[in-house]
Amino acid sequence: MTSGTPGPSAGVSSGDRPGARRPGVIRDAKDFWAGVMCMGFALAAVVLGRKYPLGTPASMGPGMFPVLLGGCLGLLGLACSIRAIRPAKAVARLAPIQPGPVLFVLGSVVAYGVTLPRMGLVVASMLLVIISRLAAPGFRWLEVTLFGAILTLGCVLVFVVGLKMPVPVWPVFLGG
Amino acid sequence: MVDLVANLSLGFHTALTLANLGWCFAGVLLGTLIGVLPGLGPVPTIAMLLPITYTLPPVSALIMLAGIFYGAQYGGSTTSILVNLPGEASSVVTCLDGHQMARQGRAGVALSIAALGSFFAGTVSTLVLAASGPWLGELAITFGPTEYFSLMVLGLAGATVLSHGSLLKSVAMVFLGLLLGLVGTDINSGAMRYTFGVPELGDGIGFVIIAMGVFGFSEIVTNLTAGAAEREVVSRKITGLWPSKKDLVEAGPAVVRGTALGCLLGVLPGGGAMLSSFASYALEKKISKHPERFGKGAIQGVAGPESANNAGAQTSFIPMLTLGIPGNATMALMAGALLIHNIQPGPQVMTGNPELFWGLVASMWIGNLLLVVLNLPLIGMWVKLLTLPYRFLYPAILAFCAIGIYSIGNNTFDIHQAALFGLFGYLLHLLECPPAPLLLGSILGPMMEENLRRALLISGGDAWVFARRPISAGLLLAAAILVVILALPALRSKREEAFQEEVA
Repeated sequence: MTSGTPGPSAGVSSGDRPGARRPGVIRDAKDFWAGVMCMGFALAAVVLGRKYPLGTPASMGPGMFPVLLGGCLGLLGLACSIRAIRPAKAVARLAPIQPGPVLFVLGSVVAYGVTLPRMGLVVASMLLVIISRLAAPGFRWLEVTLFGAILTLGCVLVFVVGLKMPVPVWPVFLGG
Repeated sequence: MVDLVANLSLGFHTALTLANLGWCFAGVLLGTLIGVLPGLGPVPTIAMLLPITYTLPPVSALIMLAGIFYGAQYGGSTTSILVNLPGEASSVVTCLDGHQMARQGRAGVALSIAALGSFFAGTVSTLVLAASGPWLGELAITFGPTEYFSLMVLGLAGATVLSHGSLLKSVAMVFLGLLLGLVGTDINSGAMRYTFGVPELGDGIGFVIIAMGVFGFSEIVTNLTAGAAEREVVSRKITGLWPSKKDLVEAGPAVVRGTALGCLLGVLPGGGAMLSSFASYALEKKISKHPERFGKGAIQGVAGPESANNAGAQTSFIPMLTLGIPGNATMALMAGALLIHNIQPGPQVMTGNPELFWGLVASMWIGNLLLVVLNLPLIGMWVKLLTLPYRFLYPAILAFCAIGIYSIGNNTFDIHQAALFGLFGYLLHLLECPPAPLLLGSILGPMMEENLRRALLISGGDAWVFARRPISAGLLLAAAILVVILALPALRSKREEAFQEEVA
């Protein structure tokens, strides 16, 4: 599932299923909210971009190009949202958001960033493995700890011993 | 012709040093290793391994990255054949017949045809690159900012062809990407744009961070939300690696056609490996006397697309190296890697760093040879790797990505930024917005602004200059035709049909 390939998981919730909620004004929720998102970014780009001098076409200021792009993005977003509420548009619903994987996977990365400079690579890597592993079913402490230890050793060997990255291995208060 | 020989010998001279040969080998091996893993395509693979190359000299770094790229490409086909789960988008069509062949006990033949076809395509496309490079480079030197701006417009228009789904959303993603690219210090006025007072944003948002977040992290999240992907590994012992004479007779012409198609489509902006393999599959099916065999293990359905995607992957280097315009997300990463080594991609690479350009060209051929030598005997190892459960895989990918991002600037802010982009990528996935045009836009954003500024400065603020200069007008016209063609309802449904048919 790489760029541009909707995997088997994408678009599962499209179509009029019996018993499903009848569509309201918004027929294609994915397009509608994508349009709203684009309009949001566009608005931010234009509003914030107004603070930078526009200049003239012959000598463009830092504000000209972003405001121009923001304007175009806003129009595209608007078109996208309007198309999504046309009665002829096929119904598509958003897939339910699953907070678990999002929280654990991205949370583990954030935890890694927070702990790395002071607690060192070993603690950060172990933490990353343990937290991220909570995102999938079948968590077993022994397995996860063992796997984390092997992975941490690999990281230390490749990045600290091999590539000589300036990063503390052990917590700084223990002498790095 | 004499020039070509002289250039290539310079290239081989550079690429055949023990160190560069070693880096090429390491790149191919690592690329295959990671490319084999399902769900990891070339873009996250390159982004993940990019930091390893920072400490190398530019030539070695680029040789290694190119090795990673076609290694990942090749690993993806192995996965497609053995597991019905493409490692990357350009291998989607290989799944159709390759996996069927594997189920009929012909996995070995499918794998060796894919390898040999790729090698043939790699050889031809290396020559195409070597022959057309200098010629395009000379053309590019006559380009002014006006032409460059129009060329980038064409490139971005092409990028929307490559992503399927809603055209409107693809174009919107391009604009959003361009805007993301503008975050940071404006090089002309020194103004800090959209930095919210965060000093770390002064240098802009690194493309590696966007790539890792949107392609790497968010893909892990979506794979996990989709539940453990069911995999059907053909784990029977792979025997009969060598194709029979009948296989070769059937596959040979398909390889040649696939190579030709790939060489052509790879050069197009927005083209590259994926477009080439789709087009080749469609062509083979169309001209076959037995179209009903396709999808049931037709060897042409493996040989054609596999050759085409390799040829397309190699010739997509042409616009990046000669014009400095990356045609797809992978090339955008390559261009970014060059910039990190302080080399501005463009025609001056060939004149200013001939050993870099020709060394890379020569290393492509060497890398392709290494792939054949490496992969066929090691196939048993790759199969073992495929049986590794995802619950071990993704924490390992995360750990490597996280430390990789940190190593770019020894900065944890980058790690948090990438996590944020992971969230954004998940949002894009939910809304079915294609991420590739976004990444491409973010790399081209500052370049486009710079060229637009210069062009308008020279013309005294007259925007019609883009339509008056013939090359520029031609490029813009091509871009307009591309978009209009795709926007026409009849053709759009056909395009979606084509994608549907191949993937289904």
